[in-house]
Amino acid sequence: MSTLIIIDQPPYGSWEGREALDMAFSLAAFDQPVSLLFCGAGVNWLRKGQDATTIQQKSVERNLAAAPVFGVEALLADNKACDHYGLTEEDLLDPVSITDFGPELTSRFDHVAFAG
Amino acid sequence: MSNSLPEQTKTPAPAGVFTLVITGAPYSSQAPQTALHFARAALAANKRIDRVFLYGDGVHLASSLSTPPSDELNLSEAWAGFMAENNIPGVACIASALRRGLVNESEMQRHELSAFNLRAPFEIAGLGEWVDSAASESRVLYFHRGS
Amino acid sequence: MTRFKTLHILNKPPEHARYRLCLSAIGPQDGLLLTENGVLAITQPLAINKERCFALAPDLEARGLLSHVSSDQIASFDDMVDLTALAENVISW
Repeated sequence: MSTLIIIDQPPYGSWEGREALDMAFSLAAFDQPVSLLFCGAGVNWLRKGQDATTIQQKSVERNLAAAPVFGVEALLADNKACDHYGLTEEDLLDPVSITDFGPELTSRFDHVAFAG
Repeated sequence: MSNSLPEQTKTPAPAGVFTLVITGAPYSSQAPQTALHFARAALAANKRIDRVFLYGDGVHLASSLSTPPSDELNLSEAWAGFMAENNIPGVACIASALRRGLVNESEMQRHELSAFNLRAPFEIAGLGEWVDSAASESRVLYFHRGS
Repeated sequence: MTRFKTLHILNKPPEHARYRLCLSAIGPQDGLLLTENGVLAITQPLAINKERCFALAPDLEARGLLSHVSSDQIASFDDMVDLTALAENVISW
């Protein structure tokens, strides 16, 4: 049973992405294989140099950087969405790999889910 | 016992057990209504529903205080009644619920709050309940907001 | 009811970003079930074979769209139960 959690909402403006991360970390905590895919505006979670202190939120950059340590198998970013938001490989957090979104990707998982 | 059937001719049995995850809030999305219609049809087709899990804004469905006008369906009441009649456990995710002001009696005491508002038979528990369903044979279906 | 590899359940209107995301994830052996706001898609050109595309009757009816769809594309909640039970995987968009 492998799960892909998809985040397509940008960070900080809604809680959906955070709640998606919680889902992924919970699966990993129970030793269930899980990967995270960022697409659409969701790729903005992956930009280096986030600091959310002045908007009084917690930056998720550190959580995401630590995802592999917690057992999340892969952090994937959709190629087209990265292009669209001007994100190159150097702009992205270290554990992220760029991929192409489509049926070939989603069909590799038994369970594909959004947080909301 | 015959072992003559080759592996590739096997088609998986249709799912017999469903878990419904509702993430869309009542009165701001259609999700709880669509999920309830689906749940009724599933039971009528002899399927089992092992759990209803409320996540994100979906936790508002478990409020005992929602009071729609009398000519509108009370969705919390309708869902609670359906679950009680059919012995289906309903769980609101604790992290989603506490953030949004949805608490049971023990959380009220633990956090020294002035009231609690969780509607029976809903309970409050962690994401582990969802992981349990996701890792089982159960087919997990999500009901998100439609906008 | 057809047994699809992945059944995609789409409840978003055509302007929603996830609507486009869903359509880009439909493989050749997949089916599409339109629900809620998703049924508005039947007024748009859709790049999916009609035999693999269904819309939920009560949502079509509510939006005055029942007569816009051929009867074999109209699904009841009973059909939705069958479609979701038979598919290898289900994605709710």
